[in-house]
Amino acid sequence: MVCAAATSFVAQTLNMRTPQPALPLLKSLEERTEQQLQTALRVFQNLAPAALNSAPAPGRWSVAACLWHLNSYGDHYYPRIAAALKKGGPQATHFTSTWLGAYFTKMMEPGPGMKKIKTFKSHEPPLSANDPVADVHEFIRQLEWLLVLLREAREADLNRIRIPITLTTLIRLRLGDVFQFIVAHNERHVQQALRACATHHAGDVLSTTVNVVP
Amino acid sequence: MSEYNYPQAFEKLRQLVAGIHPLPDDAWQALAAGWQPFSCGRKTCLTRPGEPERFLYFVCEGIQRVFHIDEHLREATLVFMYPPSFGGVLDSILLQSPATYYYETFTPSAFLRLPVPLLHALMEQHPHISTLVRKGLAHTFSGVLHRLAELQTCSAEERLRALLQRSPHILQLVPHKYLANYLGMDATNFSKLLNQVRF
Repeated sequence: MVCAAATSFVAQTLNMRTPQPALPLLKSLEERTEQQLQTALRVFQNLAPAALNSAPAPGRWSVAACLWHLNSYGDHYYPRIAAALKKGGPQATHFTSTWLGAYFTKMMEPGPGMKKIKTFKSHEPPLSANDPVADVHEFIRQLEWLLVLLREAREADLNRIRIPITLTTLIRLRLGDVFQFIVAHNERHVQQALRACATHHAGDVLSTTVNVVP
Repeated sequence: MSEYNYPQAFEKLRQLVAGIHPLPDDAWQALAAGWQPFSCGRKTCLTRPGEPERFLYFVCEGIQRVFHIDEHLREATLVFMYPPSFGGVLDSILLQSPATYYYETFTPSAFLRLPVPLLHALMEQHPHISTLVRKGLAHTFSGVLHRLAELQTCSAEERLRALLQRSPHILQLVPHKYLANYLGMDATNFSKLLNQVRF
């Protein structure tokens, strides 16, 4: 069973490494971001502060904690992506993931067999947010920004532009990999936040393998 | 966004026009021939200050706003536009001068749009189309005066209650910070007030 899951993971990661047209990729990421934004507008921004801060179980993340965590990654990536896109440069019609980029994206994608991922201290949310409503507003602002960046990136080369990851500036992922990783990461925690509002009792059912968010 | 049914949009445009000022057949045929389908995603800036407004929009789907940013980067959301209604920076359309405001989408949007030079030519050729535009603008002007009166006489809570009564669905579609801006309050006060009103 474990072997089959690992084989499938590797196969999907390798599959992501074949060149793919950049425009459909960006459009599909834009569509997923639009869906995440609609969830934030329909659900999260209409919750009372107490509900935003309410954890589904002791030690589990509340809605505000999930969004705080995503905002902390947005704070790192979005200004860097915006600055890189502003510099301009040649456009490329196709994008090819690096092995590491494909690995990070596959690791983040929510779904059956999803692994629990260790959070670095600087991205670990407070147990109770001081201003949970502000966290929701910031998350919405960041997703609106991401939509604009995904559209601007249609004129860019997703292979050539590289963005340093949060763990170390020594590793710089291709912009196409960063976008895919961010959207998958957002999806993961938006789903977690939805589960947190749905019940205050059921925690996330995740396996115990520990990885690290880039 | 999903493909919008544009033939249905022409019927909605015809109904809106008929409600403002019914057109004789030749005028309607001339007007209907000029509109082009157009759709775009959320947060698309359709018009910027300094550029002339190039189109009169008919909003088929989605919500947009016309807004202003001053030299201190303070924002003022002036008008929301919903279907079925006309959209665009209207003063720029009529004066044929550079726009002083932005027109942007709040949600994925679908439109029919008519090039402004064609609109002016049609107004010259067809007095009924000119009357249609004048009457349409009178309704818009009336709405703007009503909003000014509301801003100056009503408390923040009354303005919020009025918005919730007119368009309760907007709370689920548009980021609250823009609604707060439209009502002339900051986002934190808006959230507090909303929680008082709703919970």
